[in-house]
Formats: sequence, structure tokens, C-alpha cells
Amino acid sequence: MRAIKASQLLVVGVASALVLSACAAPADTTEGGSGSTESFSIAYQGPLTGADAKYGEYAKAGIEIALADYAAAYPDGPTVTAIYSDSQGDPAQAPALAADLINNADVLGVVGPAFSGETEATEPAYSEAGLVTVSPSATRVSLSEQGWSTFFRVVANDGAQAPAAAKLLTDVVGAKTVFVIDDASAYGVGLGDGIKDALGDKVIGSDSVEKGSTTDFSATVTKVTASGAEAVYYAGYATDAGLIQKQLTAAGFEGTYASGDGSLESTFIETAGEASEGAYLTAAAGAAGDDFVAKWDALTVSDKGSIGVYSTEAYDAAWVILSGIGEGNTTREDVLAWVAGYDAEGITKHIKFADNGEIDGAGGVYYYLVKDGDFEAPVAID
Amino acid sequence: MSESEDILLELEAVTIKFGGVVALDDVSMTIKKGEILGLIGPNGAGKTTCFNVITGVYAATSGTISLDGKSLAKRKRYQITKLGIARTFQNIRLFPSMSALDNVLVGADVHSKVGLLRALFRTPYFRRVEPENKRRAVELLELVGVGAQPDEISVNLSYGDQRRLEIARALATNPKLICLDEPAAGFNPAEKLRLMDLIRQIRDLGFTVLVVEHDMKLVMGVCDRIVVLEFGRKIAEGTPSEIQKNPAVIAAYLGTEEADDDAA
Amino acid sequence: MEFLIGNFAELTITGLVLGSVYALVALGYTLVYGVLQLINFAHSEVFMWGTYAVVWVLTLLGASGTSSLAGAAGYLAIALVAAVLMSGGVALIVERFAYRRLVRQNAPKYIILISAIGASFVLSEIMGLRDKIAGFLGLQGVLGDYVNNPRNTSTLPVEIKPEPVLQIGNYMVRDTELLIIISALIMMFVLDQFIRRTSFGRQIRAVAQDPEAASLMGANSTNVVRLTFLIGGVMAGVAATLYMIKVGATGFNVGFVLGVKAFTAAVLGGIGNLRGALLGGLILGIAENYASGILGSEWRDVTAFVLLVLVLLVRPSGLLGESLGRARA
Repeated sequence: MRAIKASQLLVVGVASALVLSACAAPADTTEGGSGSTESFSIAYQGPLTGADAKYGEYAKAGIEIALADYAAAYPDGPTVTAIYSDSQGDPAQAPALAADLINNADVLGVVGPAFSGETEATEPAYSEAGLVTVSPSATRVSLSEQGWSTFFRVVANDGAQAPAAAKLLTDVVGAKTVFVIDDASAYGVGLGDGIKDALGDKVIGSDSVEKGSTTDFSATVTKVTASGAEAVYYAGYATDAGLIQKQLTAAGFEGTYASGDGSLESTFIETAGEASEGAYLTAAAGAAGDDFVAKWDALTVSDKGSIGVYSTEAYDAAWVILSGIGEGNTTREDVLAWVAGYDAEGITKHIKFADNGEIDGAGGVYYYLVKDGDFEAPVAID
Repeated sequence: MSESEDILLELEAVTIKFGGVVALDDVSMTIKKGEILGLIGPNGAGKTTCFNVITGVYAATSGTISLDGKSLAKRKRYQITKLGIARTFQNIRLFPSMSALDNVLVGADVHSKVGLLRALFRTPYFRRVEPENKRRAVELLELVGVGAQPDEISVNLSYGDQRRLEIARALATNPKLICLDEPAAGFNPAEKLRLMDLIRQIRDLGFTVLVVEHDMKLVMGVCDRIVVLEFGRKIAEGTPSEIQKNPAVIAAYLGTEEADDDAA
Repeated sequence: MEFLIGNFAELTITGLVLGSVYALVALGYTLVYGVLQLINFAHSEVFMWGTYAVVWVLTLLGASGTSSLAGAAGYLAIALVAAVLMSGGVALIVERFAYRRLVRQNAPKYIILISAIGASFVLSEIMGLRDKIAGFLGLQGVLGDYVNNPRNTSTLPVEIKPEPVLQIGNYMVRDTELLIIISALIMMFVLDQFIRRTSFGRQIRAVAQDPEAASLMGANSTNVVRLTFLIGGVMAGVAATLYMIKVGATGFNVGFVLGVKAFTAAVLGGIGNLRGALLGGLILGIAENYASGILGSEWRDVTAFVLLVLVLLVRPSGLLGESLGRARA
């Protein structure tokens, strides 16, 4: 009897260990450099599945290009692979994944976290472990004010995006009254509040919709139409941004709709449909150059993501870490020091970090206009 | 073989055990077409068990039960009902918040194969069968004396009406055999007399009736034949007058008859 | 408050629209509960699969561009059939594999509950991993349009443009809104009549009130339970079509939130009671809108559940209370 129980326990134990390890296993790994016996990893933390999966796909393109460039630039350096860790952009799921990355001694640096919310949830752990993170896309202002020694980002924060977005609405669009909606996420509230501050008394009303809690925004739509606003800015992510615009248009709203980098992906246009024509999207990210696209085309890995917003930032973030490894920094401590002292031209901007991890000398903010079912080339807001 | 043609239900060496307890021990009996058979015995004699095995609530541990020569083994309850056995319950089990008429109609639905599509699209079949079932249900309500209030929620009916409504519901399944489980429980003498009339009427309509009952006067008054159980065994079988004289039966009831009368 | 009064008609009507979808989905919870006294947690996914049926069949038919509601009527009629078949079929599958054996063996309720929750995850993830499943089957090439990017939002290939048709108060009601409310009411009416007037309805009520007595009166309870799931699935299919007309986009995880709300609506109205499901759904939809209007949209869920708790404190069995059988006196 006892023997049977023990063996049953063993079976259960093995099964659960398998399940656990399956859960903990990285989504996939890709070969990077070659020619050395040493091998290390860089990790990506962000959404690869879920409503915001496009961001992960876009980042993957940048990281894969950076890995290819690394292999070419440091043929004798250690082998580096990328681990893609799928947080779904969810602050609740991210800490467990971050713990896995921290416990994986091969990981020398993290590209990410992708979103502000998951950064808040995981950066304390990274900071304590001394594992450097370079985010291509987490833009909430307060992230750099927490004293995290490992936090860096290669993108201008919402403090830069918000005033620029406000400027877009008043100067380019010419709106006299604006209704601001946020999605109650760390990112949405930060960006939305920044825009309200910048717009001052041009803000005619505001609302906050909980991300993912509904697909029906009729009360918000009523508020917007009742306010008579000439423009609406939605600080949140693509699916909801699309649904809100669609429902606004259906209710007869004829003003201008704008949203931020969180909505700057094709899901927004697919979801809003025809209503998305003429919408403005703001982002502290410019377009990928022809060079970049050519390199992506030349990639031979099976899953190389696709080029979109923050692909180039993901490249820069990955390159900052990879070049450190190529230059012989093979401990987390050394890579962290390398990143903190980094000072070189990136493909999006000159990259040099301030003590708080912000990029020195904010990069520009751009707007993307939706026309004929696609985003037009970005235009700098100045 | 004229005798076997007359047999409706046959129990052959039926034994039922619950764990180690033998509830029915090698019981064989027959019910003939068109008769009223009484099943009696002291408390705990196995009457209700016998009743439940006939209606498919329990499966026999061994032995066979057949209706019109068809074995009931491995048939589900609803299939046994379709085959032609209906029952009432010792403690009333009407569908409490359905009307009297609807209760009877549930019984009537057994043989009218109104499928989902027929009901949804109100096919000619559906339009023919529904009114027919309804007409029959009303007749049955009148037969048992609840005809005056077909739309009353069953739980609001008087106790006696509820008991009689159960009989109407069972009859609605158009059974070959109707099994009445203590139909007179809680009745006053006047109601018992009316019930005896009703049971005879049901038999005269062509149904065969099995009655499990404590009340000796009712059993002796209405049954054509009686089977007596004690401790799970059949101890006697015969006409009421034979049973009254049977020494084994008298012995079985000595000292217990009083208690039974009190209970009834 | 001033805002609520000023936009009362609009908030009420758009609330009724959402509430209609809640109500149709709530029926599935309430029917199964009425008959089995179990919560079918997989019902949210029955709805979700219906929304995909709408997307797929319109993709298959090559629908595209934008259209008025009337112009898309033919497409939508076909989509409705597809959604009803899909949701009804998935509901039957749930009954067959997550319920039947356990119910027959009188398994404890919590076990059946876990089985239903498991079925819910499985159905959701099958949808979310459908590209991989198609890959295993070697069909990814053929089914590309239907299975690629399974975890992204899927949108209706034809975009329905609502037209204002009717002035109520200071609000112009859109044709889509009118269609949704009226369709939901019609479905509720048909179902109510079905349960009250047909022999199948009688059998459902009988099994709900006393399954053993019902089987001894000749009701095949397995069939009745199957029928109950099927009806719930059909209603979810209708809800899915209406939802897609209104929202136009779905995802593999869209069932969860809507399912929680519909379940809340069923409990609010009195679980097991069909009319309660309608009432609960409509009240919940309107209350969410009013609360979003007065307090801000981030309060809608808080309000929904505070309302539920308040109602249950006063009427523990919900607004209309009582079981499927009893309410159908």
C-alpha cells in the first residue's frame, strides 16, 4: 500500500515538475553568435500573446536583427541566444517570468519590460538581482523616479510624448476642446494625465475605462458626444482604442480621434475599421530606415517577428547589451556597468543614459496619420 | 397456455440485497391482466422494495421480472414507463409548481413523440397530438375528481386531490400496469370509500392495478387477489377470503396489526 | 447627475442593448442551473465560439467593405445560422464530455464544477491555439485566413454602419440597437412559450422539479439535459451574432468577462428563472451605463457587483427568485 502510494506520488511529482518546467520554459530560443565555447542569453520580456501581442512581434524583429549584427561584428565573441518571455504585458504574470530570468544565470541583460505596468511589477526584482533591463517601449514618466539601478530606456518618456500629443491636438488638428480617456493602466493614466496637464482648460471632459473589462463603451461615447468635444485622445492600447473609435463614429462623433504609441499597431485599424481613417497616433518612435528593413528581409531565422512601432528601439536596446557582451563583459555586474556608461550612436538616436536611466536628451515625438487603412510615414511634432 | 396469456407481470425468484441485507428473498409472483392485486405485509416486509423493483427504481440482484414476456432487466426507468408500468408515490411526488393539467400532461408526453423540431415548427403532427393529449388529460382529471381545477398549481390542491392527481398522472402514461403505493395514506373513511370506487373504475377501464396498502379494509374490499410478504419472503397468496383464513398470515400480523392500524 | 438626466434616453437605450446580450447569454446559465443545479462555467466559451462562427462564415462568403445593416441582412442571416449551429454544437459537446458521465454517476457538485471550469479553459485555449492545431493537422495552409494570429483580435470582415432610425427623447436610436433589443426580446418570448407550452418545455420543468419522479413518468432525463444545453447554446449563438453586429470584433478570451457579467445577470434576476435572466441582464446593462455616466467608467464593474450584493441582501434568491420549475407555474 505504502509502495503504491509512493509511486503514485512520484508520478504526480514528475508530472507536475514537467508541467512546471513546461510553463517556465522560454517561448523559444534562437541562435545568435558563434565561434566561442561560452554562451549567454539576452531576454525579452513583453507580450507575445494576448491583445497586445503585436508589440512582442515588433520587438522580436529588432532583437533578431541585433543578434545577426552581433554575430557579424563579434565572430569570436561568446554565443548569444535570445529568450522570449511572454508576459502578455500583464503586471500580474510578469513577476514569475522575471524570477525565472533572474534565476537563469546565462541571462546577462533584458530587453524590456515592454509595458510600464509590468515594469513597475518586475523592476524591483531585477534591480535587486543586478540584472540590467533596457526597455524599448515603457514610457511612463515615474519609472525613472524609483531609484532602480538597473532601469534604462532608449525611448523618450510620456513626459515628452504628452506635451507633444497636446501640441498635435491644438496646433496640427486645431481642436479647441479635447476629451481625454485613459484605460486605468499605469501607462494610460500617466500619459492621459500628462496630456490633461499640457492642454489645461482645453480639456472639456475625461473618463477612465478599465482595460479589458468591457467591449462596450456606450457610456463613454455618450459623455464624449454630450461634451461636444472637437477631439478625443485615448491613452491606452490598440484593441480598446479601435473599439472606442468605432463606437464613437457609430454614435455620430465627427471630431478628430487620436491615441498614443500604445495603439500604434495594425490591430487598431482592423478593429476600428473605416472609422480609423484620419486618426492620429503619437509615439516617441520614428520609422525604420530602408537599411533596417533590408536587414530584416535578409534574416534567415524562422520566426523573425515583423517590423512595427518600437522595432528600431528594440534593436537599440538589444544592441546596447549585446555590444557589451561582445566587448568581453560576461557578468551581470559588468554588463550593467557597460550599459550605464554607454555612449554611442544608435539607429534611433544617440544613446547615452542619465543616472536615472532616461535617455539623455529626449528623442523626438512623431505622429502617424491613418490613411487608406494604413499608417502614413511619421511626422515629427515640434 | 391460456393461463400464461393472461399473465401481465411475472416475478421469478427475485432477490434483492442491499449490502448484506436481503430485502427480497426469492420472491415469485404474477399479476394477471385486468386484476387488482394487493401486496401486503407487516412493516419492513419488503413491500416497498418489491414495488420499487417492479417500477425500475432498484435492479434485482438475481431473478427476472417481465412484463408481457419482455424482461425489464437493464431497462432505464423511463423505458420501463414506456413499456407500460406507471406508479404513484407513498409520499406525494407531484411536480409541485406545475398546474394539475401540466402534471398529467407530463405523463401523457411519454407516447407522443413530439421532437424539438416538431414543437418549434408546430408541425401537423404536433398540432394533432397536443390537443389530443390535452383532451385525454382533462378526462383523467375528471375521472379522479380533480376536473374542477385543472389550472391550479398542484401544491395548492388539497391533500386528497394531490393523491388522486398522482393517479391521474400515472394513468396518463397509458400503462398496462398501474402501481399504487399506499394510495389511502392519510385518508378518512369517506375518502377511502371513494378511493375504492376509483380503483375499481380504473380496473374497469382496462388497466391492471397493483396496490400496496396498510389499510386491511381497503385491501380486502377492493383486491381480487392478495400477495403477503414477510421478512422479504412471500408467505401467502390468494383471494381476500383465503388470506383472511391463512394461519401464516394471521401469525405474521399477530401483535403487529394494531400497530399498523395506528400507523394507518 | 446632471449628465445622467441630460442623456437619460441614450444611456438607457445603449444600456438595454448591452443588457440584451447579457440576458441572452444569462439564459444558458439559468437553464442549466434550473435543471441540474449546476453552474455551467463553460457557457461563456459557448458564446465565444459563436462569435468566431460569425467571423468565419463571413470570411468564407468573402464579405468585405462596409455596409448598412439592411445591406448586410443576407450575410447576417447566414452568420446567425452558423453561430447558432456552432454554439449549439459546442454546448452539446460540453454536455457530453464535461457533464454527462459525472451527472449520471451522481458525482459531487464541486467535481462537476471543476470539470466545467476545465472545459471552459480548454475551449478558450483551443481557439487561442488554433493555428497550432491546424498545423498538427497539416491544414494551416488551407485554413490560414481562419487560424492565423489566433491570439489577436479577430474582426468582422464586413463593417456594419449603424443608421439612426428612431428618435427617443433626445437620442436617435440606431438600427443596430433596435435590432439587438428586439431580437433579444423575441428570443426570450419564444423560449418562454417553448418552456411553458410545449411538451418538451413541460419535460424540462418536470426534470427540474423532480428528476426521479420525472423519469418514472417516462421523461428521458439525459435527453432533457441535452436539450437544455442545446437551447442555452442556441441562445448564446443568437447573442454572439448580435454582439458581433454591435462590437464587430472578438478574441479567444472575450468570453470570460461577458460570461461573468451574464452569470451575474442570471443571479441578479434569480438563477433558474428565465424571466429573471432577462430582467437581470437588462438591469445590469442599464446600471453599468448609469454608473459609468455618473461616477466614471472605471466604476462600472464595482457598481455591477455592489448592485448584485445589495439585491441579494434583500432578496437572497434574486429579483424573481425561485427555480426554473417554480417560476413557470
